[in-house]
Amino acid sequence: MLALWLKIRALPTWALPLLLGIVLLLLPSLGMNYGMTRQVILTLLLALIVSGLNLNLGYAGELAMGHIAMYAAGAYTAGLIGKAGITEIWVQLLVGALAALVVGLVSGVPGLRLGGWSLAMTSFFLILLIPDVLSIFKESTGGRNGLTGIATPTLFGEPVTENQYYVLVVVIAILWFAFMRNVVVSRHGTAFQVLKQSPVLASSLGISVFRMKLSAYALGAIPAGLAGVLFANLDMFISPEAFTFTVAMTVLAASIFGGSASVYGALVGAGVLQFGLNQATNFQEYGLIITGGFLLFGGVLFSGGIAGVGQKIVRKLDYKAAEQAGRSKGSSAENAVADVEVLQGANLSVQTVSKAFGGNKALSQVSLEAKPGAVTAIIGPNGSGKTTLLNMISGYYETDEGVIALDDLQIQGQPSYKVARSGVSRTFQTPNIPKNLSVIEAVESGRYSTQRASILQAVFRTPKFRRIRREDRSEAQRVLNLVGLGSQLNADADSLPLGNRRLLEVARSLIGSPKVILLDEVASGLDEDELDVLADLILRLREAGLTVVIVEHNFQLVLRLADVIYVLAQGSVMAHGAPAEIEKNPRVMEEYLGIVSDSDGTSLVGA
Amino acid sequence: MTIIWSGMAIGAVYALVAIGYNIVFISQKTFNFAQASLMMLGAFITYVGIVVMQLPWWLVGIMAAIIVGLIAALEERIAIRPVKDMHNLLVTTLGASIILQGVAQLIWGGEPYRVPFFAGDQVISLFGGNVYPVELVLVAVVILLVIGLNQFSKHSLIGIALMGMSEDREAAQLRGVDVRRFAFLAFAFTGVLAGFLGLFVGPKTYAVATLGASLALKGFVVLAIGGFGSLTGTLAGGLIVGLTEALASRYIGADFANLSVFLILVVILMAKPSGLFNRQKERTV
Repeated sequence: MLALWLKIRALPTWALPLLLGIVLLLLPSLGMNYGMTRQVILTLLLALIVSGLNLNLGYAGELAMGHIAMYAAGAYTAGLIGKAGITEIWVQLLVGALAALVVGLVSGVPGLRLGGWSLAMTSFFLILLIPDVLSIFKESTGGRNGLTGIATPTLFGEPVTENQYYVLVVVIAILWFAFMRNVVVSRHGTAFQVLKQSPVLASSLGISVFRMKLSAYALGAIPAGLAGVLFANLDMFISPEAFTFTVAMTVLAASIFGGSASVYGALVGAGVLQFGLNQATNFQEYGLIITGGFLLFGGVLFSGGIAGVGQKIVRKLDYKAAEQAGRSKGSSAENAVADVEVLQGANLSVQTVSKAFGGNKALSQVSLEAKPGAVTAIIGPNGSGKTTLLNMISGYYETDEGVIALDDLQIQGQPSYKVARSGVSRTFQTPNIPKNLSVIEAVESGRYSTQRASILQAVFRTPKFRRIRREDRSEAQRVLNLVGLGSQLNADADSLPLGNRRLLEVARSLIGSPKVILLDEVASGLDEDELDVLADLILRLREAGLTVVIVEHNFQLVLRLADVIYVLAQGSVMAHGAPAEIEKNPRVMEEYLGIVSDSDGTSLVGA
Repeated sequence: MTIIWSGMAIGAVYALVAIGYNIVFISQKTFNFAQASLMMLGAFITYVGIVVMQLPWWLVGIMAAIIVGLIAALEERIAIRPVKDMHNLLVTTLGASIILQGVAQLIWGGEPYRVPFFAGDQVISLFGGNVYPVELVLVAVVILLVIGLNQFSKHSLIGIALMGMSEDREAAQLRGVDVRRFAFLAFAFTGVLAGFLGLFVGPKTYAVATLGASLALKGFVVLAIGGFGSLTGTLAGGLIVGLTEALASRYIGADFANLSVFLILVVILMAKPSGLFNRQKERTV
């Protein structure tokens, strides 16, 4: 049983879907009747729209409902140009997809500015506008009565027969799902998951949140537009009835049921809703309640949908099979000691920076200098402004006054993803690691913005994309070896123990060849061995020339590592200097360490 | 002037929806898609109470408040409390709203019902325009409600606790505020409000199953204009949306009413993403 499973898993993941596609292609020649063919076509069209939605909801993490409007845009574009005599289906598909893309971009920009509910609402609004817009252009669209008189589509000048049309729809669906699959398994898919987990994390990796979400939304418009064109040519008649709120809810329900964060879940969801529910008698009456129930209980009970359940089973079987195979592989280059390449650090200077939140002055007139090839530590009690300072450097807060510069480049006021791209990388106080990624994928995401390969390159697997993918792998392996996680490449990143998650973050922050690295309380929660690995690594990074800034409560560790220490208290720099000076500074001992005179300095106030 | 009156009245209805959104937003930082559907139910119950059962209006108001309040409480229990992810909440409350719409369609069909206003439907002439009594009352109700809620949040202990929760949930918890209970009560209160307001909203909008979808959107536009969490902002937002809709529909054409409101939404989101009455909030890590 398990051996069979291993054989199945040895096949490429696209083998099964491709087989399904071929079966679908052959169905008519096996004697499927017209009614059935039509159902399959409608299912595939629904699946295309759902798949577009999945890119937003499942991957970029934004609820959008405007895909029906894009579907309508594709359909009416095809209908209108078909009526005007341009019946060539390829041309229609191209123009229809473009029209949908335009609708997506125009409606996506304002909605995505705010994120969260805004896109949901603006895209929802779009559905409401469909009948209005159609009615305004009544002359050409036929308004509420629908558009009639669409000419039969042609392919290379020849009219398309019913059977050919079926094949055409299946082929387009196969092509789209291949496209989608290639995007999702590539680094772009990983970046989408990072984005879904945490926009803060994404921007710290140099990913522009807005641009990334917009590209997911725009990309999702394409299948909706294609489906629209194919729908218009199916019956040669379209009316606003086909693009209502209820249809939009069916799409959403299919996405939730099939599993939004999956490629093929769209097919399952669309199949269930098309074949199962629409066939049920009384669907007209109970349709809304059933759809609503799908959304409500789907959202509450299984957040991964059918695909999520499937993925869980696959993972379990994999695990069992691996266990039985005796874990023969996986422990190859265990913790090979990796070299740190020479790193080009940058001088980080913070000059008289102040920041107030309302009336609360978090930082006042803080100046700090971190040099390449040195470890600069920031210490201070809780609430003294350490993390605020890091957040200002990373660009999460705007400075009220003062200058933050990397060498000669001023970075204050820049959005955080730009700061990250200029070479500032960081870890977080609470490790921020996306769900459902393996260790190596999580680390690779740190290279997303430094090494670029476009989505189209990912789809067509160009040589450049392949080269970058290879480099991603080898670099990730290298930095993971650096932090001592080299043997856990394929483990589930999110379920590592705390100490390892911190080390994973360090690896992720190193992979993009940063100039400055900010480590926010990176040692807390590490055991002795991990602490040694970390301390050793920090010293090696310093040797290699990197600018290292650490915020840390562990005073002993700071004394061991730091070249310069800045002590913050109540938002300003209380003292700074070499460890030996700070250790003996009476004010530091008293206020920060809570030592009045002659004890040995182990009792920490802020720890 | 007639158009202005009617625009202000419909704006008041949108503002009432936005107030519901705001109360939920303030108390649990979530968004209840179904708010407008609750109001739709309120309108239907008012219709049933006044037209079918011939009950006195105040009894109908109480009845609607209790029934819709219970439905809201139920929604909180099954569509909000078990869900942890904010994105899923959008989906589940949307699901709840679709179910409510489906139930309404099942019971009352798709046709709109006229709901009479208890204080009469005689047209009044005021400032050179014709206005229904209910339109004046709607404007008055929304203004009074905003003043009342603002006073409540500033001066009553519960109000202060709610504001504290919205500021920092954990801190409020540490100060002994039962955060979950308060959030639940606030949610149920929006249901009570939606039910009771059916008395005023129904006569203006009619009771129709599809009311929820359009009200939900317009309410959101009001919220976006006025700013999330700002009760005073809903008044300005309601005024802007209501007047835009009424004027566009009168002078450009009925097909342009929604389009104009959408345009305003887009402009506001682009120019002032946090709304007119909110300070820009900074992101936190």
